[in-house]
Amino acid sequence: MNFEEFQNQSRLYVIGALEPEEVEEFERARRKFGKKAEDFITECYGLHEAFALSLRPAKASAAIKERLMSMVRARKEPNPRGPSSNRLIHPG
Amino acid sequence: MHRKTKKPVRAAKPKTKKRDRVAKLQTKRRAGVAIPKRRQFSGPPQLEPGAPSDLDLMLAIQASDPDALSQLYDRYNGILKALILRVVHNEAEADDLLQEIFMEIWNQAKNFSAQKGKPLGWMVTLARRRAIDGLRKKQAYARAEERLQHEIEQQPDAWVHNATEEEIVLGDTRILIRKVINGLPPAQQQAIDLAFFRGMSQREIAAKTNTPLGTVKTRLELGLKKIYDGLKELRDEL
Repeated sequence: MNFEEFQNQSRLYVIGALEPEEVEEFERARRKFGKKAEDFITECYGLHEAFALSLRPAKASAAIKERLMSMVRARKEPNPRGPSSNRLIHPG
Repeated sequence: MHRKTKKPVRAAKPKTKKRDRVAKLQTKRRAGVAIPKRRQFSGPPQLEPGAPSDLDLMLAIQASDPDALSQLYDRYNGILKALILRVVHNEAEADDLLQEIFMEIWNQAKNFSAQKGKPLGWMVTLARRRAIDGLRKKQAYARAEERLQHEIEQQPDAWVHNATEEEIVLGDTRILIRKVINGLPPAQQQAIDLAFFRGMSQREIAAKTNTPLGTVKTRLELGLKKIYDGLKELRDEL
């Protein structure tokens, strides 16, 4: 696989459209081209961003953010009984 | 091409080349005419001066700052919800997934690396994967399929949008990107749409569209290359 073919495959790879038998060959080429390949793949992920930005933004329900933030804050709060309180206490 | 009918007044306007539009803008700038600010084509929405960048917010989330997540949510919930909705075609499921995805952003933030791309790209990749997984798991898949099929029949090039020259000069990220996508033949748009928004493999697309596998591969390769090159050209132009 030359680099131009690798570029074509990379664009398919980032959107998950390579068939399983193509992935193996792609991974071999990826190793062969090294950093140049990694840089190109990173660049191709920009396609994801572009596809998302091509859509008209949708409005999320107001309750979603509230639920999300309360879950996040609950996880962040330390356990008032201390980290050891959940451990099993072995007798003896 | 199955394009929507343009409004008569706008349809009468002659098309101008990108080069001409840029020249027109430069003339206006030289003459001191105020030009509406154009959004960065591939960046986040325009930020107020002094507002933290996406990267700042990601770093703060990595340091477990809930306010940073709150700001990131305000900035991108609309874009991510649109993406999820495009995959699952169900408002309530999209809302649930949106919440799960932001929770995952919070939990997985430590895996984000600025060297591997921008925060929005990372979030979109994560959201897309999650939405497609959700779609596959749910029984609603068949119903969404039906709706999608209906959409394809009704509007084969669902991405098509009649961007007028005025809109392009005023500039809007979405319209600029859509213009690039809309430049593709409908068959290429459809193949990319099924691969990206439905997570379909080449074989699945071939079966769904009753097209030879080799043709699907060619459509995807050509279409993605044109979009990639088009976006690059836009970036250079701006």
